[in-house]
Amino acid sequence: MVVVLSLTCLIPELAAQDASAIKFVNRQKSSGVEFVLDNYPTENKPVIDSVLGGVALLDYDNDGYLDIFFTNGATIPALTKDGPRFYNRLYHNNHDGTFTDVTEKAGLRGEGYSMGVAAADYDNDGWTDLYVTGVNRNFLYHNNGDGTFTDVTAHAGVPAITAAGKKLWSVSAAWVDYDNDGLLDLFVNSYLDWTPQNNRVCGPVGQRLSCHPNLYDGQPSFLYHNNGDGTFTDVSAAMGISQHIGKGMGIAIADYNGDGWMDIFVANDKMANFLFRNRGGGRGFDEVGMESFVAFNDDGLAISNMGVDFRDWNNDGLPGLFVTALDGETFPLFRNEGNGLFSTDDYKAGIGFQSMRMSGWGAGIYDFDNDGFKDLFSANSHVNVITDPESQHQYRQSNKVFQNMHNGTFQDVSSGAGPDLQVRAPHRGAAFGDLNNDGKIDVVVSVIGGPPEILYNTSPSRNHWISIQTVGVKSNRDGIGTRIKIVGESGLTQYNHVTTAGSYASSSDPRVHFGLGKDSTIREIELRWPSGKVQTLHNVKADRILKITEE
Amino acid sequence: MKAIVIFLAVTVCALRPVYANTCAGSEDQLRSVSKLLSRGDTVGAERSLEALQASHPNCDELILDRARLQAAKGDDAADETFVHYTTLEPRDAEGWGYLARYLLAQEAYQRADAAASLATDCGPGDAVAMAVKGQILDLKGESQEGIALLEQAIRLDPDDAETRFQLGGIYDRSLHPKQAVQYFAEVVAINPFDARAWDYLALNLEPLGEIDRAQQAYARGLSENRQGSYFDAFLPYNYGRFLMKRNQLSASREQLDRAVVLTPQVRAVWYERARLNVRLQNLEQARTDAEKAASIDDPQGVIADLQIYVLLEQVYSRLGETALARKYAELSRVTPSPVKNEMDRTH
Repeated sequence: MVVVLSLTCLIPELAAQDASAIKFVNRQKSSGVEFVLDNYPTENKPVIDSVLGGVALLDYDNDGYLDIFFTNGATIPALTKDGPRFYNRLYHNNHDGTFTDVTEKAGLRGEGYSMGVAAADYDNDGWTDLYVTGVNRNFLYHNNGDGTFTDVTAHAGVPAITAAGKKLWSVSAAWVDYDNDGLLDLFVNSYLDWTPQNNRVCGPVGQRLSCHPNLYDGQPSFLYHNNGDGTFTDVSAAMGISQHIGKGMGIAIADYNGDGWMDIFVANDKMANFLFRNRGGGRGFDEVGMESFVAFNDDGLAISNMGVDFRDWNNDGLPGLFVTALDGETFPLFRNEGNGLFSTDDYKAGIGFQSMRMSGWGAGIYDFDNDGFKDLFSANSHVNVITDPESQHQYRQSNKVFQNMHNGTFQDVSSGAGPDLQVRAPHRGAAFGDLNNDGKIDVVVSVIGGPPEILYNTSPSRNHWISIQTVGVKSNRDGIGTRIKIVGESGLTQYNHVTTAGSYASSSDPRVHFGLGKDSTIREIELRWPSGKVQTLHNVKADRILKITEE
Repeated sequence: MKAIVIFLAVTVCALRPVYANTCAGSEDQLRSVSKLLSRGDTVGAERSLEALQASHPNCDELILDRARLQAAKGDDAADETFVHYTTLEPRDAEGWGYLARYLLAQEAYQRADAAASLATDCGPGDAVAMAVKGQILDLKGESQEGIALLEQAIRLDPDDAETRFQLGGIYDRSLHPKQAVQYFAEVVAINPFDARAWDYLALNLEPLGEIDRAQQAYARGLSENRQGSYFDAFLPYNYGRFLMKRNQLSASREQLDRAVVLTPQVRAVWYERARLNVRLQNLEQARTDAEKAASIDDPQGVIADLQIYVLLEQVYSRLGETALARKYAELSRVTPSPVKNEMDRTH
């Protein structure tokens, strides 16, 4: 069954248009979103205060428009949200560029020092649920379908607490149906073995620095299998996950080897990244980061990996990886060779030198100008509050967009992306999605100590597009893991897959967006559902949000 | 030990000259020679020295200039000539200063330290004496004090490129590329023959994002890279790495081929050429180069063991030699990544 949703109004374009330009405008001030990411800065700068900031875009009330959820900090060292300044917040999209804070009604203010968020419908009831990670508390919130959520963490059994009773510090989480049983499972990474009691203090008085992750031990990640009855089973050991100690920051999922099973990439901070290759059939995972050449950067070194996205950025049918890191390290761009191996293409693709001076967190591979080739976005800031204007390590940095040049290379086009992309701030998480359903991918970026940036994509091109909203029947209802291939009328072929995971500690629009360039019709859309079903549509008109139900 | 040096300094500085010094009337030419030497113009300096030798054969200062010329040309006789001069003119702070500078370049640190002490004791306001003392303070870990002295020395003698080079080096080592660029740019403006300075300039332009300028600096440095005190054996290696990042693979190959000939005992050059060969898909050559890199110790840690293992794993994996690939994958897993500074994230 295919349902075509109505076209929406295009946002009026600005003058002096360059058809190839990518542009953003920050509309936070007029949005009604008054959230401030409060990390509770203290004199001794504990390591937790620089790595928070997850954002989710989700349609929690199924009105067809993306709403926004922000995670927030807490007091240190008590790690309690002792007042509204620390509440996590849910904002309802009013469809007119404004949002309303519905946190209290929804019951989502949260507890503890929150970090990240992952949104998906884990119980297939048609309503998007939320998993919120944190230093000392994780929460699974069930969407009740009436604008409220219920904390079902204990019942579900997903607290990110080890068998020995230790709560591990979680940053990112990802919903993934790893065994294709039609139910979304949950992967939660862990960062450092930090407590207020073992906190290290780094840097001289008055110039405290965020301590190097090498000063703390790493932790294992969790994989929870969805039992289909509202509960989960911790299968971390059985599935070969918890044996691998990491310092996990970002997570992204994709079927990188085309075997029909979703794989999981974990960006680790200053140690080898993990690529968990799914053996399929619920038989577990093999960690193959080394063997696939994605563990380290081009110099064979572990770098400060933060955010990640895992999509096909060169239209060869193979999802590749874009990872953010600190300045001096470059942002690795791993090209999938199709033989189980990746090559590190940051310099070859032209972003090596360009990213050398950047420190990035949120990361996205999306087609911002709808030309049929996915671009790159990074939400930038250093980890340390450096006040020396002469230092080349700048705390406040501007976000960056790299335009895909269609030849395997990218060009930093940020300086032409509008004044709001020149703003230097301590950016962190970034969630990607079409907030106003105009066919252009927008970005919501969290900012430590300030309001978020709600960056509407105002790129002037009139290129065509399509967004695909999958509804699983035998597959999980969100269709997460569905691999989609489209062929435009010009023959341009593109690939993507359904996921909300990726970026840094954030969760993005589950609808799969494709820019189509000049193609106003799509010759073919092929969906490979996690259930194994293959569904094909022909001669589909562009410029719409297309809901496709599995059949 | 310090007391002995001070005693010697006081004694030395009080000595009378052994030979009569008849430099009178040659002051302008001597200043001109000194300037030419500071600017690295060894050809011009040699020509002028020959003329001065003919007109003022008994002028002791010519010996100092000859020592400086020999040092600039990489002639080992410079040591003896410097010593000869300081014996003749033991009160000349500049003589001790240039000797100290030469000894520092030769890594004869103890002798350099002694000479530098004599220089500052004979002439605390002398620019060269101040500069070498600043250099030594930095070596001893007192970088801020060293920088202050070097900056003062520049104010006293704006034509001294070497002092600027030392300042640039301090900023380079402490990862302050903006300041490093400032000083290395000044060096090459005074002394365009200093290939080392062009190399460092390029290296520090890279992290500032000035890629085209970096390439120009490398290319210029290469054209000036002749045997002598300004010769930079690592320039082809640095340039080769840079060209690989710029995707100019043939040009990179040319430089890295030169690098392995120039510095065959250095792990980094073989490692880098191995990486290039992987990119060029010359896997057998990559294997040879990577194994060669693995066989060389790297006490300074420029290329860590982990990097070698990661590269070897990639090479063997691509060659289909699974057992060896597995071996290096496991080694990579258990080898910790090198850390420059455990305490902070500013690198």
